[in-house]
Amino acid sequence: MAGAEISVRGLEKSFGQLKAVDDLSLDIPSGEFLALLGPSGSGKSTVLMMLAGFEVPTGGAITIDGRDCTRMPPQKRNIGMVFQHYSLFPHLSVLDNVAFPLKMRGEAKAARRRRAAEALEVVRLEGYGDRMPSQLSGGQRQRVALARAIVYQPRLLLMDEPLSALDKNLREEMQLEIKRLHSELGVTVVFVTHDQGEALTMADRVAILRGGKIQQISPARELYERPANLFSAGFIGEMNMIPAQWDGSGLVLAQGDRLAPPDTALIGTAPTGAATLAIRPERLRVTAPDAPGALAATLEEVVYAGAGTLLIARLADGTEIRARIPSAGLPRLSEGERIGLAFDPDALLVYGEAAA
Amino acid sequence: MSLSSFMQPDGRNLSKAGITLLMAPFFMLIGIAFLYPLISLLSISVTEPELGFQNYERILDTPVYGKVLLRTLWIALLVSILSLFLAFPVAMAMVSSGGAMAVFITACILLPFWSSVLVRTAAWAVLLQRNGIVNDLLQAIGIIDAPVRLLYTQGAVVVAMTHVLMPFMVLPIYGALRNIPQDYGRAAAICGAGPLRGFIEVTLPLAMPGVLGGFILVFLTALGYFITPALLGSPQEMMIATLISQQLREFLDWPFAAALVGVLTLFVTAITLVFSRVFRFDRMLGGQV
Amino acid sequence: MSNRPTPGRLLLMAYVYLVLIFVLAPIVVILPMAFSEPDYLTFPPEGFTFDWFGAFFGNSRWMAASVFSLKIAVLTSVVTVVVGTMATYALMRGAGRLGTLFQGLLIAPIVVPHIALAVALYLFFRQTGLSGTVTGYVMAHAIIAMPFVVFTVAAALSSVDATLEDAAMSCGASRFDAFRLVTLPLILPNVLSGGLFAFILSFDEPVISFFLAGIRDKTLPRMMFDNIEQNLTPVIPAIAVLLTGISIFVLVSAAILRRMAQSRSMPAKEA
Repeated sequence: MAGAEISVRGLEKSFGQLKAVDDLSLDIPSGEFLALLGPSGSGKSTVLMMLAGFEVPTGGAITIDGRDCTRMPPQKRNIGMVFQHYSLFPHLSVLDNVAFPLKMRGEAKAARRRRAAEALEVVRLEGYGDRMPSQLSGGQRQRVALARAIVYQPRLLLMDEPLSALDKNLREEMQLEIKRLHSELGVTVVFVTHDQGEALTMADRVAILRGGKIQQISPARELYERPANLFSAGFIGEMNMIPAQWDGSGLVLAQGDRLAPPDTALIGTAPTGAATLAIRPERLRVTAPDAPGALAATLEEVVYAGAGTLLIARLADGTEIRARIPSAGLPRLSEGERIGLAFDPDALLVYGEAAA
Repeated sequence: MSLSSFMQPDGRNLSKAGITLLMAPFFMLIGIAFLYPLISLLSISVTEPELGFQNYERILDTPVYGKVLLRTLWIALLVSILSLFLAFPVAMAMVSSGGAMAVFITACILLPFWSSVLVRTAAWAVLLQRNGIVNDLLQAIGIIDAPVRLLYTQGAVVVAMTHVLMPFMVLPIYGALRNIPQDYGRAAAICGAGPLRGFIEVTLPLAMPGVLGGFILVFLTALGYFITPALLGSPQEMMIATLISQQLREFLDWPFAAALVGVLTLFVTAITLVFSRVFRFDRMLGGQV
Repeated sequence: MSNRPTPGRLLLMAYVYLVLIFVLAPIVVILPMAFSEPDYLTFPPEGFTFDWFGAFFGNSRWMAASVFSLKIAVLTSVVTVVVGTMATYALMRGAGRLGTLFQGLLIAPIVVPHIALAVALYLFFRQTGLSGTVTGYVMAHAIIAMPFVVFTVAAALSSVDATLEDAAMSCGASRFDAFRLVTLPLILPNVLSGGLFAFILSFDEPVISFFLAGIRDKTLPRMMFDNIEQNLTPVIPAIAVLLTGISIFVLVSAAILRRMAQSRSMPAKEA
């Protein structure tokens, strides 16, 4: 069974003066796993609630499989949903919880029980049907919620920060579990999270939201390696941002270095003038301070963290720069020492002022 | 009955139409059986026998009625003060005792709360009668030589009303005291306050909302109390509720009775509005019904 | 608190016991009189007899009044629970300004003395012919009992996670089904204990009963009032025994319902 195809056009939701979602358009192809990622208040949950039908948009349209769903009540949408705090019905057994959507669809009791048991098997909870939700651990409850959401084979599965209540180990296990389910079922998944690691691990594509607008929507790798703007660059992972001047062919840093990044380093079109040089800390290497092409900096702090070591240094103009270097083979460095930070040309990203 | 068609899928909240529909029976009930009757009664007090405030003037100008008002205020105040002194230690004991003891005290306070006001009033009639236990007891201790009249006096009314209304004082105070973290008492002790100082400086101010809420609830209820004064009080020393009943049932003087209801209702409403911040009904029951 | 009671604590407890004696004494004194032989009330009771229960159950006027009151109380609790639960649910699901009005009108009958309500209804019911009718009493008693039911139901509703209804709707349930199948079962114990409370309030209600009584139909409290006012026979203690029994039964039922409400979300026994 194929997943649903979703098209969102000019979606808008205002709560009084506040625009929670602002002219948002989005196409989700059948079977995609899309993560909505953003800080709290970015509108990601509101978008999900509008997809589910719990919030009515103040503008725009939502189409699921070609059907206009903008104002359709949630119970008519045939969507599976996993809630942040599981929202299992406390007065029903695990099996009855999972069978609930089938009951709502008028399925006969025997078929209901059979299909619910099958769904429990899919989430690896066979034999737990007679328990009450309160007798389960957090991870098990999450699986029951998942089983309830997929039991009637919806074409669209919505997840509202479903793993945020779990501890780290369980969370990683469930991430893989959900990914496995997604590829087994072929269902389209929209997944809201504020955890970037989770979004990068799980999703085919990640949409970054801020202020109710999409900042960038791209596959995980592109999002990390070529953030579309400074917000995305700063939001995903760590990024050094160094103020610079772009003169049309090269980049001049405040402390005088002149760099000639390859054309591919330019994000969008960069007009001459103030620009920002961005570089991931793990793309830096330590060299001698006067090595050609390296940035000279003064080391301020050395933080050993097992596999890697974090170096915090300062450029001559005062800009802080961080480097994450594999601990193995790193020479002994002491604070206050002058070092050089070298990099490959393809590690550079240049943002013009417009991309801020 | 399907209400679903009136409700929009607007998240958790119902649509305006759905809410109006669900609340309509309540508003109809309160409109028909509360607002309309009360307003039409009050309108009688200023329109009959002729337009104007002469019914209210009569209350204020006639010393007998003025006395009834003052007596009502005085008895209600006395009942509230007595209830406070009886209730506060009980609430404290409920909070500080653990397990079975707390349950026992709570049950003792709640059982009369649930038993008929008439039964309790009848019990006081028995206790206070000329050859009743209270007279026997007073003679046995030697306070009096011969039985005295206790029933049909103001004293009987005050004692019985205190007995009936005291639970309404215990529960809000209990609710307030229970919400004071134990740490506060310990903190006060660390700061050098003895148990009494700690009580006066910390516990009492924090319990004030409950005390005030309970006090006003008992005071307001006592002001309009009818059953106990009607059965245990002296006909020569009426309270406003018994006066209203007399005007209505014996003299059939509707406009004047309506004016008395008006005075009582306005007074009670005014006090409620003034104290609306502390007079929170949801706290009144101390979290238990 | 501490293991060794302080002098202050002993003093407090002594005072509390005295207060409890004051609270319990009238009830403890009146109940045994139900079994006393003379036709006036004495303490200690003299002799032993069940005659006064017989006098109550054998007297058609007492019986008629009891049945009348029972009918009113049952209807009152049904009306109050249905109307109150509907309104409370709306209140908790975004009633806005209407909710403020609702809350104001809800506590008004608590603030306005019963005597005022009774007199107002006396006038109104005389005009409309509702005096002494079941409908009249039920409306009056529902107004008095409403706040208690609403607060019980509201407390229950606020403890039920509203996203459970979202979950039900995402499973395909209509709004009404989401309430009926998910929220209602979870708040049912509180709804029922609110209903029991309304029953007791109506069954015991003396003031409105006093004013609204018709010539023929009298409620039980009104009959009791007349008896106490006129001759006070041991029928009253007999009724007190019965009423106290009912109260204890209701209290215990309410406690069991509350326990059930708690165990709902607790682990059920393994099958």
